Amino acid sequence: MKKNNLKNHRQKWSKCLSFALVAVFMLMCNLFALAQTQKVTGKVTDALTGESLVGVSVYEKGTQNATTTDINGVYTLSSVKKGQVLVFSFIGMKTIEITTDARTTYDVVLQSEATGLNEVVVIGYGTQKKGDVTSAVSTVKSDKFLQGATKDAAQLIQGKVAGLTVSSSTGDPTQGTQIMLRGISTLMASSEPLVIVDGVPGNLNSVAPEDIASIDVLKDGSAAAIYGTRGNNGVIFVTTKRASTNTPATLEYSGYMSTQAIARQMDFLTASEYRQKIAEGVGFEDLGSSTDWFKEVTRTPISQSHNLTFKGGNSTSSYTASLNYRKFQGIFQRSDNDQFIGRLNLTHSMFNDRLKFNFDMSSRNMSYWAGGDGYSFNPEIYRQVIIRNPTDVIKDADGVWQERDTYMYNNPVALLNEADGLNKEKELRYSGSALYTPISDLHVKLMVSRVENSAMRGYYETKQHVSTTKYGKNGYASRSASSDFDNLLEFTTDYSKNIDKHNFTILGGYSYEYYETENFWEQNWDFPTDLYTYNNMGTGDALIRGEAGMGSGKSSSTLIGFFGRFNYNYDNKYLVMASLRREGSSKFGDNYKWGNFPAVSLGWRISSEPFMSSLNFIHELKLRAGFGVTGTAPSDPYKSQTSLNYGDRFLYNGKWIQGIEPIRNPNPDLRWEKKEELNLGLDFAFLKGIVSGSVDLYKRTTRDMLYDYPVPVPPYLYGSILANAAEMENKGVEVMLAANNPFQSEIFKWTTSLTYSNNKNKLLSLSSDPAYQLTNDFINEGYTGEPIQTSTHRIQVGEPIGNFWGYKSVGVGDDGEWIIEGKDGEQKSIVDANDADKQYLGNGLPKSYFGFNNTFNYKNFDLTVNLRGAFGFQILNFSRMYYENTYDLSYNKLASAFDLVYGKELKSQLCYVSYYIEQGDYLKLDNVTLGYTFNVKNSKSFKAARVYASGLNLLTITGYKGIDPEVNRSGLAPGNDERDKYPTTRTFSVGVNVTF
Amino acid sequence: MKKSYISVLFAAAILIVSGCTKLDEKVYSEVLAKDFVPTQNDIPSIVGPVYSVMRPMMMDWQGYFDVEEESADQIVTPGRPNGWVDGGTYQRMHKHEWTPEEWQPWNLWLNCFSGITTANRVIYQIESGEIAMTQGKAELLAELRTVRAFYYYLLCDNHGNVPIVTDYTNTELPAQKSQLDVYNFVVSELKACIPLLSKDVSTATYGRFTKYAAQTLLARVYLNAVTYTGSGKWAECEAYCDSVLNSNKYSLTANYKDSFVTNNESSPEIIFAVPYDETKAGGNINHMKTLDPLMRKVFKMEAQPWGGSCAVPQFINTYDPDDSRLTDTWIMGDQKDPATGEVVISFPNTCTSIYSTARNEGYRIGKYEIKQGMKSSSSVDFPIFRLAEVKMMKAECLLRTGRAGEAAAIVSEVRARAFKSNPSKAVVTAATLLGNSKYVYGNADELGIVTGDNGAVIEFGGFLDELGWEFAAEAHRRMDLIRFGVFSTKKWLNHVPNGNDKKIFPIPLEELNKNSNLVQNPGY
Repeated sequence: MKKNNLKNHRQKWSKCLSFALVAVFMLMCNLFALAQTQKVTGKVTDALTGESLVGVSVYEKGTQNATTTDINGVYTLSSVKKGQVLVFSFIGMKTIEITTDARTTYDVVLQSEATGLNEVVVIGYGTQKKGDVTSAVSTVKSDKFLQGATKDAAQLIQGKVAGLTVSSSTGDPTQGTQIMLRGISTLMASSEPLVIVDGVPGNLNSVAPEDIASIDVLKDGSAAAIYGTRGNNGVIFVTTKRASTNTPATLEYSGYMSTQAIARQMDFLTASEYRQKIAEGVGFEDLGSSTDWFKEVTRTPISQSHNLTFKGGNSTSSYTASLNYRKFQGIFQRSDNDQFIGRLNLTHSMFNDRLKFNFDMSSRNMSYWAGGDGYSFNPEIYRQVIIRNPTDVIKDADGVWQERDTYMYNNPVALLNEADGLNKEKELRYSGSALYTPISDLHVKLMVSRVENSAMRGYYETKQHVSTTKYGKNGYASRSASSDFDNLLEFTTDYSKNIDKHNFTILGGYSYEYYETENFWEQNWDFPTDLYTYNNMGTGDALIRGEAGMGSGKSSSTLIGFFGRFNYNYDNKYLVMASLRREGSSKFGDNYKWGNFPAVSLGWRISSEPFMSSLNFIHELKLRAGFGVTGTAPSDPYKSQTSLNYGDRFLYNGKWIQGIEPIRNPNPDLRWEKKEELNLGLDFAFLKGIVSGSVDLYKRTTRDMLYDYPVPVPPYLYGSILANAAEMENKGVEVMLAANNPFQSEIFKWTTSLTYSNNKNKLLSLSSDPAYQLTNDFINEGYTGEPIQTSTHRIQVGEPIGNFWGYKSVGVGDDGEWIIEGKDGEQKSIVDANDADKQYLGNGLPKSYFGFNNTFNYKNFDLTVNLRGAFGFQILNFSRMYYENTYDLSYNKLASAFDLVYGKELKSQLCYVSYYIEQGDYLKLDNVTLGYTFNVKNSKSFKAARVYASGLNLLTITGYKGIDPEVNRSGLAPGNDERDKYPTTRTFSVGVNVTF
Repeated sequence: MKKSYISVLFAAAILIVSGCTKLDEKVYSEVLAKDFVPTQNDIPSIVGPVYSVMRPMMMDWQGYFDVEEESADQIVTPGRPNGWVDGGTYQRMHKHEWTPEEWQPWNLWLNCFSGITTANRVIYQIESGEIAMTQGKAELLAELRTVRAFYYYLLCDNHGNVPIVTDYTNTELPAQKSQLDVYNFVVSELKACIPLLSKDVSTATYGRFTKYAAQTLLARVYLNAVTYTGSGKWAECEAYCDSVLNSNKYSLTANYKDSFVTNNESSPEIIFAVPYDETKAGGNINHMKTLDPLMRKVFKMEAQPWGGSCAVPQFINTYDPDDSRLTDTWIMGDQKDPATGEVVISFPNTCTSIYSTARNEGYRIGKYEIKQGMKSSSSVDFPIFRLAEVKMMKAECLLRTGRAGEAAAIVSEVRARAFKSNPSKAVVTAATLLGNSKYVYGNADELGIVTGDNGAVIEFGGFLDELGWEFAAEAHRRMDLIRFGVFSTKKWLNHVPNGNDKKIFPIPLEELNKNSNLVQNPGY
């Protein structure tokens, strides 16, 4: 009975709905019938080339009356009412709206979006015309992206945004790029820019590179201040490709296959060279075999990527759906990364565009082999490959892995094959927004979003792994899972008004963000069999014996912001922007729960002044100045709280019980790092925009910088406290120059852009608060690892981050020991040296970066050639420091280990001296892509088709002796080229893009 | 139309006002102090941290063991092919060239003050009634003050001039006190607490300060009073030794080794020890630091040891070959894989120099049992006080107060278990104790040839030798060398005297900077 009732109810409801729909439809028909209509036609051409444009969407605004241009660029639209607005839109072109009059023919010329001053730039909680922007903002559209096998969104714009350095310092297929904007401005807090993907915080790998339409970068503080405590490192907006209304049903496929080769192989002794050295009297041990260990663990990887997008839309709704699958392989066997992303965008417009809904959803699933406990490829394998005796066998006569007892020395082929694991990561993003336009130019928007991340991993070492064969674990497994979510609600209202020559826009908003994360891990060993691997954790005995561990944790944080922005311009000549965000975070101490982040920027469009009108060659000239305050919150929650935890055990009456004690010094004054940034800029365009560019000067000062300050115990409970007291400064220049087909040739076209940036970093103070004083005016950072065991860098007040600090070698003595330059400049043996003799040996952060991007078009061929360089920095070559010596011959050595050093034979034990610090300057031929675009004018099924071949990281011009001078630059010890690093590679791809 | 957008704005305003501007932190996997209401049942957990800091303090990486041994003449950590230079720290420890930034003594400072602050906190919690105690309050407070006095004793002995803080609620930067003040504070605290402490010697009090542990501590403080005050307190030391001896709560073990086995908590000789457990309470890594990596095979270890510290050959040469404490304390000669009988490594009694040695040079510390299947952490408890020390302290008092014969009798009694193969050698004479040391001081060259001793006779040198053999590798040696006037006068291996000021360590530089009331010790 109940079921029937429900059914009846449903039927009733659907009847009502049908009736309503019919009523609405009839009403609409009446509206159409009342209007006077006519048929309009015309041709759409490209402003730059003059060629007709195929597939341009043409529609009557606010109706479903739509069409597209044919192969001759011609459109015909019937039943167009006089006084209506016709919209012409095409990807990569500026959309044009024309109000119809008595005419029936409207020929339209579309401008390329990329060069126009009307190009729309994302500035956070809205967009702005590029010409009106008063702060340092860069935009890169998809047609300018790096092509081929790119790792993430950042790599797409590598070398294309001055001041944003994107480096790719590892060949690990699970690792993305490293990005840094305008230098390092923190000691302990995050240095990651805020990434906003379609309005919602995310990551550079949240969406597939193929799915991205544009990337906008807010570089200076006046632009980023509206993001408050997330704005210190700049903001990167990733906007995905999405259909606009009135898009014909389109299907796009793009895909590529790629392979890789090591960028450069270190020259370690082969078996025959090794034997030759033995013959020359070197104390190596010949174990009778010949093994190319590198070959044994590497392969020629094949990677592939497939992206399918379908989209379409009528006048009120549009949809975009895409599927992206990629399977990356690394040069080391088993090292891989599989990723599947599904994405859906729906838009819906009602009440004559007064109410618009947007829905975005994407799901990303990534999984990769784990060769180490908790990570992807086990870097120890690479270390063991290069240090292993090349005359040793892989397996002994009994077929058992050949292990030796040398310290820190394991068979790499065994490490590779006797460990097995899988890391799985999922990211689920959904967001919905409603945009209400009650009166024209007033927008009220509510957006809610949720981003969930989860990860699950398992790892197992078999009974043939050294963990058992050497250390008796009898099979080792570990598992962990983590999950987090980020809920965001944003409410914004903006209003624009033009009164005579006064144009202004105001924006006000509220944002509430709640983040929660939890995790669990366990390990176990002593398993009855290898067959379960990590899938039956309970069968191990170590957990029962209390030897193995497990743990879990959970934390949350809340971030609340109120913000407002005011944009004003007079006659599009004098531009003003002012904004303020008031933001509070649960992570802050009780005495500093809320902070204010103001910004103001001004612009003067000199080119619009009457006195400039005679200078025809000047297309645009704009002077900008901005000042803004942004912040960075502490990374972890609860640091201001007095908390207790159970932990360390105490023998009480024969039983080990857990003690409870405070876990930190609470700091009720804990707050954000505060960055003040001044930015001066000049935008210019000459010759109708054929040549354009911008220059920016900035100075950013971070105050209240977080550091773990040592404090006395007692009265404090712990020896250090997280507090805000240090100061740092970054200054720099950024230059961008672009030319769009400067020779105006129709057959051979050339588009080029050149970026240059430099940055000067200085630590102003380690403590401006008398309560928190450091022992010295410096901190030592970086670590050589065993057996040298010393720090590599020093951060000192008045000096930049990244300085190498150690002994300056000037020779080698007759005893084979290093001769160094001591503190007074006198030369002495390293044996007699102490810390006071150490000095600065260079800096690991490039002083300047350079990018040169070129695209050539000849008929149907296109050729992209990108060059990138970094200059004025040094690299500590760990491989040479560890392997270019003959000190401990139980390990294999570089061929250069037998060369004389300063004309003498080196007999010293391993040391960190300046001899291993090299100039890092390089110029890379980073990306070369040759493409061919098929002529599909006559095709009924194809709208576009292109094939290409691409190479990444092709050629490096450098004096650096390591594998790749593009080394790690993140953190406080940049420029350390770690010996275990997954070597970088050259990548070669062939790909195809087709649109149906 | 206007109405509708006003209503939307109004709705939004309500949302914001009623919606959250709250920024409270919600904890999940930690406990906010304000949420924790302790009861009598929580006392063991609250007291635990007062003691548990002793684990990292004593036998962990660069802990108290290293401070007391590497600065003395029995143990060194020389450079090895796989490292052990570590910025020269072991060389500086050996050569008394440590700086105010040297980690080992600084680490001891940090651990002591961590224990002191925890003790002050718990004392405050009990005294203020924050922890409601219904029974045993006076005894527990006395115990906490005794543990605190132990930490102050360590600071008095090692850093000398340190602040004394007893009030948890005082948030001012503490003032520095002289070594004499610290000594007096320790003595008066212990005297006040001893009558209140537990006399129970059982599992219930193992690893905690009983009356006898406190008496032994006070005896040791008096024994070394000559170092801190310039005048001996031999009678006082002897009196407290007698209190412990007369309690008849402890006895010497039959075998020297028995107090250093995995289950040494059952040793009747131990008066106070820091308990360790390989899984539940790690931190005893002495075996990892001394064993060569290859010793993994000999002990079928679940970890590869690091291979560093070894004996100074000059000290090994002082042993009587029949003294079983030589083999009970040191690992020497051929080391065999128990499964195959294959010789894995062999340790000769050599040490080329503190700067550089071959991997196998030098006898390794084997005093603390290294069982088959050893993990990276040991379960052997570290004995701080054992009965043999009380006996030897008494013997030293007798010796120094003109009763050498009585002293020799006690020393002979302690030696007896070490000369089971040749009992006659256990007997030692007064003359031997009063005589010079057998230790051949002077710098050793690469071949072990010793030269350059100043020739000065060490007063009671024979007794110092006895202390050396009985308490080798028990973190006693620095204290004993100082008391016998050897620490800053004699040479050994690559060590040359570097001034009397080195008898106390510098105030750590960072502590000086953190607390402007502190003044650096003389000579630094």
